[in-house]
Amino acid sequence: MVLSREEQIELTRIAIKAGQILLQHGAESRLVEQTTQRIGIALGASSIELSVSSDAIVLTSLFGEDCVTTTRRCYDRGINMQMVCEVQRICLMLEKKLLDISQVKERLNRLKPYKYNRYLVIFMIGLSCSSFSHFFGGDWQVYLTTFFASSIAMFFRQELAARHHNPFVIFAISAFSATSIASLGVFFEFGEKPQIAMAASVLLLVPGFPFINAVSDVLKGYINTGIARWVFATLLTISVSFGIVISMLLTGVSGWIH
Amino acid sequence: MELFTLFIIDAWFAWIPAVGFAMVFNVPRKMLIYCAIGGAFAHSLRFLLMTSGVPIEGATFLASSAMGFLGLYWSRKHLIPRPVFTVASVIPMIPGGFAFTTVIGLMELNSSGYSPEIMAIITENGLRTLFILSALSFGLALPSILIYRGRPIV
Repeated sequence: MVLSREEQIELTRIAIKAGQILLQHGAESRLVEQTTQRIGIALGASSIELSVSSDAIVLTSLFGEDCVTTTRRCYDRGINMQMVCEVQRICLMLEKKLLDISQVKERLNRLKPYKYNRYLVIFMIGLSCSSFSHFFGGDWQVYLTTFFASSIAMFFRQELAARHHNPFVIFAISAFSATSIASLGVFFEFGEKPQIAMAASVLLLVPGFPFINAVSDVLKGYINTGIARWVFATLLTISVSFGIVISMLLTGVSGWIH
Repeated sequence: MELFTLFIIDAWFAWIPAVGFAMVFNVPRKMLIYCAIGGAFAHSLRFLLMTSGVPIEGATFLASSAMGFLGLYWSRKHLIPRPVFTVASVIPMIPGGFAFTTVIGLMELNSSGYSPEIMAIITENGLRTLFILSALSFGLALPSILIYRGRPIV
């Protein structure tokens, strides 16, 4: 296989586009590196070297005596596993020679993040947090309180996210609203242990995906991205706790530490 | 028989958060059923281990490594990256309550001054968060650490 200079530049752009999509939608570092390298090599490069950091990718493609290097900033677009699946599928089809270089480029550019119906998500998250309240030992009144508190908090989270607020602000305000609504249950003594609702209704704000990604990045040798993700998830946890504490101070109802 | 009923109830309540959070992560629609099965499987396995006397960290590790291997099978069958199934499935086991208690305890310590009781709450909850979280991620990563090492899974 012989590559001209233009073809190598084109290949580099396609490979980094794939890596950029993966990193922006919450894939772990090893998946970003492996998939990008596989796409580049399938398109004809002799090797692909890349440096993944938490918010940018630097990629060099090597072919014979030639190196082509390029950089992309990767702004966080929110976790979207459907996009990760699509890029992986394009990579596999390319390796099986079902796609050529122009088709890969066209498919990568055509990818649009799919989103579930927002009211369905609100309903499911309400049920999810209510299930957590069951695990904590709550009865059906607590179940109901948690459902309303967490659904309304999820509504606020979506509304604020649609207006592109800072994630820390979004999480603090959502936690504040969840705790304030759940404390109504304590106020009116709704159920056996209404404090459980206060603990369960904020669990929709646990940054589980960033925490798991952080630990698996560190385990697989990507210490930089791992630390960055850990810090981000920890700060999100702190801002959620901040929202909870402000709400407990204002209402005077304590659900956590007595 | 009593244990079996509790086990079924636990599995029933565990699939709901797995699917709910899978939808927040925009897992493709066809894969939601696997997140539901995985969530019910992992959480009820942990429940069984904990009722038979295994501490929560060990039970979490065993449950999440079982989930890691199940995810490996599914991922090779459907040609889809593993985190798509596995992360949503372990969401019901994430120590969110412990994490928030730790940070709220720290804020309490700051506002009302040092007290050994609050310090005990912070230390216990903080360590539990750290160990459960590490056990979860390590368990999920086990197949790629032990078997696949440098190679891609799909």
